[in-house]
Amino acid sequence: MNRRCKYRYRIGVRVVILLIIFCGFIRAEAEDLKRIILLSGNWKFSVGDYHAWANPGFNDSEWDVIEVPGKWEDYGYSDYNGYAWYRKNFTIQNVDENTVLYLVFGRIDDSDEVYLNGKKLSGSGSMPPNFRTAYNERRKYPIPKEYLNYTGTNTLAVRVYDCYLDGGIIDGPVGIYVDEDNNLLDLDLSGQWKFHLGDNKQWKAGAFNDELWTAITVPSDWEHQGFDEYNGYAWYRRKFKLSANLKNKPLYLILGKIDDNDYVYLNGELIGSVFELEKDGEYKRKGYEYNARRIYKIPQEYLNQNGSNTIAIRVFDSGLRGGIYECPIGLMTEINCRQYRRKHYENQSFWDFIIEEFLID
Amino acid sequence: MKLNKMSWKFITINLILMISALNSNRLTAFEGDLVRVKNLSGTWKFSIGEREEWISAEYDDTDWESIQVPSPWENQGFYGYNGFGFYRKTFTISNEYRENGLYLILGYIDDVDETYLNGQKIGSTGTFPPIYATAYNAKRVYRIPKELINYNGLNILAVKVYDSYQAGGIVGGDIGIYVNPFEIPVDLSLEGEWKFKLGDELGRKSVTYNDSQWDKILVPAKWEDKGYRDYDGYAWYRKSFYYKGTFSDETIVLVLGKIDDVDEVYVNGVKVGMTGDFVDRENQKLPTGEHYQALRGYYFSTKLLKSNQKNTIAVRVYDSGGDGGIYEGPVGLVSQTRYIEYWRKRKQLKGW
Repeated sequence: MNRRCKYRYRIGVRVVILLIIFCGFIRAEAEDLKRIILLSGNWKFSVGDYHAWANPGFNDSEWDVIEVPGKWEDYGYSDYNGYAWYRKNFTIQNVDENTVLYLVFGRIDDSDEVYLNGKKLSGSGSMPPNFRTAYNERRKYPIPKEYLNYTGTNTLAVRVYDCYLDGGIIDGPVGIYVDEDNNLLDLDLSGQWKFHLGDNKQWKAGAFNDELWTAITVPSDWEHQGFDEYNGYAWYRRKFKLSANLKNKPLYLILGKIDDNDYVYLNGELIGSVFELEKDGEYKRKGYEYNARRIYKIPQEYLNQNGSNTIAIRVFDSGLRGGIYECPIGLMTEINCRQYRRKHYENQSFWDFIIEEFLID
Repeated sequence: MKLNKMSWKFITINLILMISALNSNRLTAFEGDLVRVKNLSGTWKFSIGEREEWISAEYDDTDWESIQVPSPWENQGFYGYNGFGFYRKTFTISNEYRENGLYLILGYIDDVDETYLNGQKIGSTGTFPPIYATAYNAKRVYRIPKELINYNGLNILAVKVYDSYQAGGIVGGDIGIYVNPFEIPVDLSLEGEWKFKLGDELGRKSVTYNDSQWDKILVPAKWEDKGYRDYDGYAWYRKSFYYKGTFSDETIVLVLGKIDDVDEVYVNGVKVGMTGDFVDRENQKLPTGEHYQALRGYYFSTKLLKSNQKNTIAVRVYDSGGDGGIYEGPVGLVSQTRYIEYWRKRKQLKGW
């Protein structure tokens, strides 16, 4: 190697190192998921479609065994298009009932409906006659804790419809996950919220009676919860009380990610909107509202320290997926919020990071 | 290795031949599955000319010339003859194939043919004069409707051929009766004559729609082979049938073989399924891709069927180019239980 070459080589190495550092900051993971149960491997499998196959008591001993993830064309079902079901049993141990769990499939070709212990958990795409594929979407379904059996066997049944070409649960990871970011929440507000399509200014009021509204799981887009292909306005509402350790502390309302934009009211007062986040460095480009992490500082004067508080969120979805769809939902104290921000450097430039890390602290 | 000019020429010609062969004869996966159970090459009866009664199973052809098949008739004493010729051949088929789908492969015919089994037309390729169109490079694979086969006695094939110039007749290929061991079984076959109309109109899905003025078409077959040469675009198929008795299952499967390219299916006016988009909703592009290779099995509730009454299936098809239509069988209704059994058994048959 001559000198000139060596010099070039060194510059090359430096550029690469810089690029690695730089990419590390801008390519931060959207979520911090950790797998607690691995569900890849052998599953029971049958072509066909009977709703009784969702039941945990159904005897699938005669069924075929198939490797998941994998396309069924590779396991003797070449040319098969149509319905097929997958079934698998699992147990969960040493998991706290308050931990939010997610069922994750890499990709399912084309559409699916997932049943846990006989209850419909979620689904993606849609089945015939109004078939719609979701073959290139990752599946991440929050599991309501009342669906889970914490002491015995749980039965998963996945109904899949394939229109053509590859079919089945074709890509991993496949498993049950926890979102590590949820550990940063001082008050977890994920789970059942009240939900209403349309738009009405009255719905922001704390005293508004939302008893007759639909229940919806947050976070999870509304397409997966019976509002297939709905685009437009919808409102979410939820009540909470402050626990003693959070009283009179600066708090942040964390609302995961929302598709597309939102106006957030606390006890009837506007406390934030994705459009305000622009100043916050979190959201920079128009059209990317859906990807901005919602972190809203709660003004102390609007917060009811002892009684009930109401969050009302007006969401507008301009197309495709809609709603409060992923990431942690709840309240964070200043220290946890700062850590949460730090973990996700998305949309934060290298210099913002340097300034925040080394000059401000 | 150094290639001289001649070898390059050879390679180029071979490549061109391979590419054109791929284009003109898209060998489908199912053709690879076919197994010959009766070799029909050898001596056939032959006469030049054409007469209506030569189609008939009863016609006495003992006075006809003998001819070897496959081979151009020019090589067998009919040198320089162009025009119509008739081939006839008798054969038997064993009872053991009663459950299988049967196919007649006549290989390559120069230029046009119309083929009859026991007096009934089972296929044709190309068009006879006066609107002459050759199909000398199309492989003849004809599905044999079960109800036409005489499993216990003799079956009579009659092939009417037209040759415009040079080599003529059944000129090449592995002639014979083939079975598809992987054929999907149906409880009620819907193959045969369907109503057919070019163009698009959603009203055509309804049971009460009047299709009496529509053309008749054989299903399954490419519409290019049935008089709609070079047609690309929308077309509708309709089939009415009486459904007797009951299916034990709540769900039944409508098997529609393969369709080129995309389709939408209605049973008594209700949409039961689709393969592909008629217009790509996001890109506003017309459909292309591999939909034509997908085997169609549409599940639907037996509640949609009316017992002892007329039921209508309507299929909207869009062909974006090349061949078009419901081109490969089987076509029919099968109970879900039997359909599931079939797919489980097929896996074992394929060596899994």
